[in-house]
Amino acid sequence: MDPPQARQEQQGRNPREMFIVAARRHRLLSNKCSRCGHLMLPTIYYCEKCFNRKFESFEIEGTGKVVTYTIQAVSPEGFEDIGSYAWVVFAVDGTNFSVSGCLPGIRSSSDLPIGSRIKVSDYHPKHGLILQKV
Amino acid sequence: MANNVCVLGSGSTKYGRLNESIIDIALNASADAIDSAGITPKDIKACYISNVFGVSDKQVHMAPVIMSNLGVPFVPGLTIESACGSGSVMFREAFANIAAGFYDCILGVGVEKITQTGTLQSTTLFSYCSDFFYEGGNGASFPGLFASIARSYLTKYKATEEDLACVAVKNHENGILNPKAHVRKKITIEDVLNSPVVASPLKLYDCCPFSDGASAVILCSEDFAIRSGRPYVQVVGSGRGASPAAVHAREDITTIPSTKAAANQAYKMAGITPKDIDFAEVHDCFTIAEIIDIEDLGFFEKGTAARAVAEGVTARSGEIPINPSGGLKSKGHPIGATGIGQVVEVFEQLTGKAGERTIKDAELALTHNFGATGASAAVHIFKRVE
Repeated sequence: MDPPQARQEQQGRNPREMFIVAARRHRLLSNKCSRCGHLMLPTIYYCEKCFNRKFESFEIEGTGKVVTYTIQAVSPEGFEDIGSYAWVVFAVDGTNFSVSGCLPGIRSSSDLPIGSRIKVSDYHPKHGLILQKV
Repeated sequence: MANNVCVLGSGSTKYGRLNESIIDIALNASADAIDSAGITPKDIKACYISNVFGVSDKQVHMAPVIMSNLGVPFVPGLTIESACGSGSVMFREAFANIAAGFYDCILGVGVEKITQTGTLQSTTLFSYCSDFFYEGGNGASFPGLFASIARSYLTKYKATEEDLACVAVKNHENGILNPKAHVRKKITIEDVLNSPVVASPLKLYDCCPFSDGASAVILCSEDFAIRSGRPYVQVVGSGRGASPAAVHAREDITTIPSTKAAANQAYKMAGITPKDIDFAEVHDCFTIAEIIDIEDLGFFEKGTAARAVAEGVTARSGEIPINPSGGLKSKGHPIGATGIGQVVEVFEQLTGKAGERTIKDAELALTHNFGATGASAAVHIFKRVE
């Protein structure tokens, strides 16, 4: 059995599915390299530091600080029904990585100063990783 | 390198909203390039195509169709896709094949036909060029991704939206002189600042248009070029680079690692430094992109390019002219063609065919083109041959 298949079967789901399941519980899934301890998003198949491919997966608080964002006048198909939102990059607490998601209800930059606290609130089938202000 | 590589001919359609099929657009540019080189299709040993969304005009696997319609159906070809950087990546592969001696003459054609899809569908299609699980799938459009980069840059370096507007004003001034440009219209800083917000902090005039168009070049060995007796330009540097696909995965959102890597390779191959370049065609899909490009290419220190643009250093008459063609911003951005369109501009400039846009006494020119938010990039350096 080739390693990717083995990994999927061991864990029952592929990394993206597991990421989504955790997000629906308001959490972020993270992988910790079993050799060097580097923390990464679970969708990366080899450790970015040492190229090991054995990880300990665990859920972390999906909280963090806004690094940058935008509010768009024209959004891709599927986002017409969500109203005004920000696409946000945020630095995840307790890790050295950032991730990006969709933060509904943001209409102007005064609603979201850089550094604002946010957290993961859901994973929507059409809108992806949903965030909310803390 | 086994062989020196040259550009012997170029052709381009007008960029904009075109009515012809994607194949006819590609054929028009190809025939112009062939005529410009003074060759016939039977001289071409291979055809390289760059294209992203051919499927939206009902044609993929274009090389056999193009070569059949040029009357040489037995000449092999292929299509290369690297999002908005497809043209330069294709040029690099064609360059490598001539340098390695596999072929002595290649037709390189970049083409895109997208305007028939409308703004919403185009926005959606382009979002597929992002790291979709994290970006397009979470609602980011391409203007949105570059807007997030712009917000980081403006915050970190205390630059202003007015600084960004200066890029648009300068490129539109250049584009007015380019008969092939999509948007030939003089604009002011106030026009940019007062244009509708597309993705904050970027406004309509900070963004390049969706364009149709094709550009083509004839690449050949130097022996082939000399035998032709025609004017040609030598490719003296070539580099490729890559960056993390997602914006959130970059250590510093205000720099594009693929640009730096590609530029360093190209400078090293050419044996020159950024100071030796006389002008450059860079990837200004959004005004913030040009600011970041010209820093990462080594023309300016990090955080200083916005001020330099505002002071006219990058104008056609400035110390380092940037995008004399009008750039993506004014000339247009048919994404599969853009990287080759830059080579067309350099070829015209260095062979005395650029008319009013001519950068006087230019000897060395650089092209820089990237895919998506800079996840892939290529840089090439060209030298005038007397």
